[in-house]
Amino acid sequence: MTALDTLLKAPGVMHEVDDDPEAVYEFLCAKGWSDGLPVIPPTPERVERMLAYCDRDFDQPVVKIPPRFGAATPIRIAANAVMAGCKPEYFPLVLLALEAVAEGPYNLYGTQATTHPCTPMVIFNGPIAKEVGLNAGQNCMGNFFRANAAIGRAVRLALVNIGAAIPGVGDMATQGTPAKFSFCVAENEDASPWEPLHVELGLPQDATTVTVIAAEGPHNINDHESITAEGILTMIAGTMTITGSNNAYYDGQPCVAFGPEHAQTVAGGGFSKADVKKWLFEHATLPLSRFSKEGIERRFRRKLADQYADASLDALVRMFAKPEDLLVIVTGGAGKHSSYIPTFGNTRAVTRALRRADGELVRSVQELKRG
Amino acid sequence: MAQLTKRGLIAAVVCSDTFMRLGTAQAKVFGVPDLPLLKIQHPLGGLNMEKVRERASIALPQLIQLVKEKQA
Repeated sequence: MTALDTLLKAPGVMHEVDDDPEAVYEFLCAKGWSDGLPVIPPTPERVERMLAYCDRDFDQPVVKIPPRFGAATPIRIAANAVMAGCKPEYFPLVLLALEAVAEGPYNLYGTQATTHPCTPMVIFNGPIAKEVGLNAGQNCMGNFFRANAAIGRAVRLALVNIGAAIPGVGDMATQGTPAKFSFCVAENEDASPWEPLHVELGLPQDATTVTVIAAEGPHNINDHESITAEGILTMIAGTMTITGSNNAYYDGQPCVAFGPEHAQTVAGGGFSKADVKKWLFEHATLPLSRFSKEGIERRFRRKLADQYADASLDALVRMFAKPEDLLVIVTGGAGKHSSYIPTFGNTRAVTRALRRADGELVRSVQELKRG
Repeated sequence: MAQLTKRGLIAAVVCSDTFMRLGTAQAKVFGVPDLPLLKIQHPLGGLNMEKVRERASIALPQLIQLVKEKQA
């Protein structure tokens, strides 16, 4: 008997169900162990295969996931990864993303239980993103690509099944977002005119990293007409300035995900990433008068009194507190679209590098294969 | 509130009816399953002062009753 067999014999771990896929689907939905879509049944054999790229003890919690503060052990996370449709080589990236969202600054407790429609936007950089087939090109935030769909879904399933982010009980989102099914992208480093996100943050180019933000779904920025950096940035600033955004009130870190063509035009105008952030900091602003009278009185004049108690209606409201707070990535394929991703606000982006148990950076997922 | 309860103080959480299941579940998670929840009508956000006072008038008797029970 393997160590895994022993673990699976613990009370409550195993459930016997007819192996008909519809029966399994019905069982898991009835238990609340699904996102509402069919899943792959997490049989012991499949869970064991999923753990082939895990260099941790299978029964030791990697993180605890609120609001239940459920212990996320590799074996439990692997069960969710199986259900989501992951290949075993995706598993280290699922684990990495869960470690990132569990870091304090992300505010997982708040983001899980809030009425706001946020979910982890999981952004990967580095060689292993490409190695496992994460799509950074055409339709990268959409459907079709297994690695993006399954890794993002595995993270969400773990948040629900281990953390009990169950709608109406532990997840109080008023409307939620379709991004809660999966929201996982890789940066298109090859098509970017700028240094990739992880390099900007001081990590080596050949590190593989995850960056997580507590994100709304992407807001599209269509601009087929602007042919200058300032023109495109003007359109982006216009899309960012929305009165109903949490980022108008809190110090969260929203994200601009440039499509490669927009990025090339902006960079061609001499703009570095830092220049982009500074320009958008200065121009993504709304006059106070654009908010409702009640909003001005109740939120700006009272809750944000240090800034707006006596401010004129022409006073500018910024969408992020300082230029470096804006995340800028490049992702997607051909076309004149970019996107703006607002956040929960009371949250910070967290970046983690994929490392072996000895602390060394992992350059290929094959380094993590057991045996 | 969980910490205050564990220290032996009388503590309670004002909770709107829609959030009662979350409040009950979280009280268990934090090791104080009997933490009193003072139930008021949802919503609490976006209310004028009159509506806030209405909710306070619902919560206050529950609080007084709780204190009396705990001190009895």
